[in-house]
Amino acid sequence: MGLELDEGRSTVTTKARVNSPQSDTGNLIKDSALGLVPETLPHYLDLTVAIWDAGPLSPSDIELARLRNANHVGCVMCQAVRYDIAVADGLTEDLVDQVSKQGIQAGLPERQELIVRFVDWYVLSPSAHDADLKRCLNEQFSEAEQVHLALLMAYFNGFSRCAVSLGGMPDSMPRMEISVPR
Amino acid sequence: MAGLLQFWFLLMAETASGHKASYGEVVEALPEIGRQFAALYRSFWSLESVPAETLELCRLRLAQLLGSDVAWRFEEVSLARRQRDELSRWPDNDGFSPAQKACLELTEMHAMDARSITDAQADAVKLHFGEVGFVALVQALGVFDAMIRLGLIWDLSSMKVDQP
Repeated sequence: MGLELDEGRSTVTTKARVNSPQSDTGNLIKDSALGLVPETLPHYLDLTVAIWDAGPLSPSDIELARLRNANHVGCVMCQAVRYDIAVADGLTEDLVDQVSKQGIQAGLPERQELIVRFVDWYVLSPSAHDADLKRCLNEQFSEAEQVHLALLMAYFNGFSRCAVSLGGMPDSMPRMEISVPR
Repeated sequence: MAGLLQFWFLLMAETASGHKASYGEVVEALPEIGRQFAALYRSFWSLESVPAETLELCRLRLAQLLGSDVAWRFEEVSLARRQRDELSRWPDNDGFSPAQKACLELTEMHAMDARSITDAQADAVKLHFGEVGFVALVQALGVFDAMIRLGLIWDLSSMKVDQP
C-alpha cells in the first residue's frame, strides 16, 4: 500500500491571511483573493480557460496531472476538487486514488503513468536529465500534448502553491465538483 | 514522425549548430496557451503593489535555489550590481531593505514548502506591501518558479518570454 504523497509534511495554517474581495460573481477566481490584484486577474482568467479548452490533452488527463500536483503541494482544497468536465470525460475515483499514492502504482495505463512520471519530474527534479522519460513521452505524446502537459503544470503548480500560501486551508475537505470558472 | 524528431531536438537543447530553443519557439506547438502564460508572466512587472526591483530579487533568488544558470544570468529588471552579487547572503546584508528582506524570506519558504510559511512571515510582507502586495507576491512566486522550471525542462536558451 502506497503512502499519501504529502504524508509527514507540515500543515498549512487554517487562518486566512487576506480578506477576499466582497464580490459574488460566481466566478471562483474573481471572488477569491486572486481577485485583489487587478493587473493579473484577467490573465489568470484567460489562462485558466485556455488550459482546459485550447490544448490537445483530454480533461481527464489534465485532471490527473492537476491532482498529482495537488498531492505534492499538499493543497487540501485542490485535492478535494474535481472538475466536472473531467468527470464527464471518464475520470474515475479509482484512477484518482492510483495517482494519489506515492510512486507509480501497478496497473496504471501507460499514458497515465507517463503523466504521473512527468509531474513528479517537474515538481521534484526539473534540472535532472531523464532520457528514458523523454523517449517514452515522445512515443506516447504528440509535440503539442507535451507542451500542454508542461504548461498546465506551470499553471497548476504555481496556482496550488499560491492557494496554500494564502492560508485559510482547512485540514480536510469533502470531495466536490466544480466547473471551470469562465 | 518528423515533427516528433524536431521536438525531440528542441527539448534536447543544443543541436549540432548549438542552437537552443526560446520560449516562443517551444510554445509554437500550442500558441494560444503559450501566449496566455506569457501574458500572465509579463503582468507582474508593472504592479502597483510591489516594485519590479523587489520581484526581480525574488525571481533571481528562485533561480539560485532551483539551480538555473540561465534564469540567474537573465535580467528582467536592472538591479544594482552589489545586490546581485550579495543575493545569497541577503539576511546579514545592509544592502537590502527590510521590505526586500521580508519578500526574500517568503520566497525561500515558498520554494521549500509553501505550507511552511508562517503567519509572521506573511505579516512582514503585508506590513510593507499590504494584503494586495502579499497576494501579488505569492502569485508572482508561483509564476516565476514555473517559468524557471520550464526553462530547465525545455533547456531554453534564455528566460526571455517571447511571443510564439
